[in-house]
Amino acid sequence: MHRIRFFIALWGAKGSKILLKITRNNGTNFPGKIAIKICPDFLKYINKPKKIIGVTGTNGKTTVANLAIDMLEYDGEKVLNNSLGSNTITGIVTSLINGVSLSGKSKYEKGVFEIDEKSTKRIFPEVTPDYLLVTNLSRDSIMRNGHPEYISKILTKYIPKATKLIINADDLISSNISPENERVYFGIDKMDTDKTECTNLINDLQICPKCHSKLSYDYLRYHHMGKAVCNNCGFSSPESDYLGENVNLTDMTIDIKEAGDVNRYRLLNDSVFNIYNVVSIVALFRELGYSHDKTKKLLEKVNIISSRYNVKEIDDKKVFMQMTKDRNAFACTRVFDYISSLPGEKELIIMMSNLDDAKHWSENTCWLYDCDFELLNKDNIKNIVVVGPRSKDYYLRILFAGIDGEKVVNTMNELDAPNYLKLFENDNIYILYGTDSIELASLVKEKVETRIRGGN
Amino acid sequence: MNIEVMFPEVCNLYGDLANVKLIKDSYPETVVIETGLKDIPYFFENKPDLIYMGSVTEDNQVLVIEALMKYKGRIKTLIDEGVCFLVTGNAIEVFGGEISDVDGTKLRGLGIVEISTKRDMFNRFNSLYIGKFDNLDIVGYKSQFTHSYYYNNQNSSQLFDTIRGAGLNPEVKEEGIRINNFFATYVIGPLLILNPDFAKYLLEQLGINNPKLLHEKDMIEAYKLRVKEYSDSNTGFYY
Repeated sequence: MHRIRFFIALWGAKGSKILLKITRNNGTNFPGKIAIKICPDFLKYINKPKKIIGVTGTNGKTTVANLAIDMLEYDGEKVLNNSLGSNTITGIVTSLINGVSLSGKSKYEKGVFEIDEKSTKRIFPEVTPDYLLVTNLSRDSIMRNGHPEYISKILTKYIPKATKLIINADDLISSNISPENERVYFGIDKMDTDKTECTNLINDLQICPKCHSKLSYDYLRYHHMGKAVCNNCGFSSPESDYLGENVNLTDMTIDIKEAGDVNRYRLLNDSVFNIYNVVSIVALFRELGYSHDKTKKLLEKVNIISSRYNVKEIDDKKVFMQMTKDRNAFACTRVFDYISSLPGEKELIIMMSNLDDAKHWSENTCWLYDCDFELLNKDNIKNIVVVGPRSKDYYLRILFAGIDGEKVVNTMNELDAPNYLKLFENDNIYILYGTDSIELASLVKEKVETRIRGGN
Repeated sequence: MNIEVMFPEVCNLYGDLANVKLIKDSYPETVVIETGLKDIPYFFENKPDLIYMGSVTEDNQVLVIEALMKYKGRIKTLIDEGVCFLVTGNAIEVFGGEISDVDGTKLRGLGIVEISTKRDMFNRFNSLYIGKFDNLDIVGYKSQFTHSYYYNNQNSSQLFDTIRGAGLNPEVKEEGIRINNFFATYVIGPLLILNPDFAKYLLEQLGINNPKLLHEKDMIEAYKLRVKEYSDSNTGFYY
C-alpha cells in the first residue's frame, strides 16, 4: 500500500513539473510539496544517491554547498543538489524527485544538499548524510531561529549517529553539537586582526559551557568565534584537524595544515567569512578522499556565485553588489566589518528591509540593535542611503551608532536611492541587499550605472 | 543615576540591551553597573535607580534563577520600596512561580510575581504588539517559546492593556506585570527606543524632570509610523 502511494506521489510530482514548465511557473518546490501531500512518508521511500553530503549552519551554507557542487562537477561527477530550490524538506524532496527515474531508481551516485538547520528535524530521520559540514552557528532570524542554543539542540537531537561531522573548531556553539558523532574540525589560526576581547554587540558564548565561569580567548576573531579557554576548569576550544594559517591577502592564498603537512590554497575572496568557507571546503574534499593537488586544481576553477557578491568597474568607480542577509544581525555585522575594513572612499545603499514582511505584516526590527552599525562610523564612508519600508528604523539605528545624520539619507522607494549618491572621484559604491530583493537590487544597480555614465 | 544590568553575558538577546544604551546615550553621566552570574549583585547592599534584565536562552534561564534565588528577599524588599525594575522578554518568567515544559521538565522560579509559565520549544510564537500604558500607545514585538498565566487573585496588575496581539498569553488582554515600579513585559528588544513616550515616563520615575531623549525627533517619527501601521487592521499581526 505504501509503495503504491509512493509511486502515485512520485508520478504526480513529476507530472507537476511538466505542468510548471508549460505554464512557465517558477514553483521550484512545488513537486516536493505535492509528493509530501500525497505521501507524507515520501522522503522515507524515495531512492537516494549512494553518497550524501549535507551542508548546514547559520551563515555560508549556500556558498559552501555551491562550491562543493561546482568542484565535484568540474571533476566530472554528476551531483544531485538543491541549489535551484529551497533548503527545506520540500526543496530536498523536489531535488530527489529530479534525481530518480519514473521507476524510482536514483540516477545519481552523489548528492550535495544545503539543509536549513531547523528543517533537519524533518529531513534527517529519512536522510542520513555521510558527511555533514556545519559552517557555524550564530544568531539568525529572531522569529524563526530564536537563538543559536535552540538551533544547536535541534541539530544534536536530529543529526544521525552515523553521520561524520565537519565542524568549525573556532565556533564553540557548533563544535559542541552531537558529541557522540565522529568528527573533524576546521579552523583558522590567529590572524593579525584578531583581538582577545569581544567588541561586537553579539557575543553568544561568554561563559564556559562546563562550569559557567567567564571564558577567556587566546584570540577572538569576531563575536564568539576564536580560540576560547576557561581559566577555571580548563575547558578549551578543540584543535583543528584542518587549520588555515598564513593568510596572505596580497597573493590571496592560505596555508592549510593537516597532520603536520602544509599545503597552499587559493582564496576566493578576502573576507574572513569566505576564508572560512575555503578552509571548510578543503576539509570536506580531503575527507572525501581527494588529494591536495586535485582539491587545489578544482578550487582554482570555482568562484562565489555572482548573485551574492560581484564587482563592476565603470570609469573610475566601482559598484559592489553584496548580499547582506536581512534580519540576521550576525551576517550583516560581518558584511559591515568587511566593508569598513576596505580602503577607499565609499557610498552605501542599504536596502535590506524584508519585502515579504512588508507585504504580510511589519518586519521585526529588534535585530538592528544586535547588529554593529557602529562599524560604518568611518571617515571614508562618505554617504549612506537607507531605503525601503523600514528606512526610518535603519536611519534611527544609524544615528544611535554615532554616525553623523548629515551623511545619511532615508527614503522609502528603492529606485530613488541612486539619485542620492554623490558619485565622487574614485567612488566605491556598495549596494547591500537582502535575500528577497535580488531583482530589485539589480534594477538599483542599473540606475547607479546609468548615473555614473552620465544619464538620469 | 545608576543602572544595574543583570547578567549581560547571557541576558542579551534580541537587542534588549539597547534599552540601557538609550538611557546612557541620552544621559551620559549614567553609571551602568554590569552584574555577572558569579558576582554579588550591586543591589544586595545598595539601591540602584534602575535594575534591568533582558531576554535569555532556556539553559541560561536556569543559571539566572540559581544566581538570584539567594537574593529573592532583597528583590522583594526593593520592589516594595519602589525601586524601578525593567524586565523584557522571557526574563519575566524568572520572577514567576514555575516554568513547565511540555517535555515534562519543571523549573522553579523566584516566586516573586504571581504567574506560571508553559514552554513548548516546538512552537515559537511571533507577533506584533500594540497596547496601552495609561494613555500611551505601546508598540513592539513578541517572539517566544512560552506563555505565562496569572494566578487567581494575583497581587499585581498588568503592565499594558492589549489592543492587538497577545497579552500575557493569547487568551488574555492583560500584558506583563506591574508591582509599584517593577515593570515586566514579554515585549522584546529595544522597547524604550520603540516607545519614546514610555521611555520618558520611565525616566521621570528615575527622578528626571522633563526628560529629553537623544534623537527624540527621529524616534518619535519612527514610533508614529509604527503605531499607524499596527493600528491598521490590514497589517498582519502574526508571523
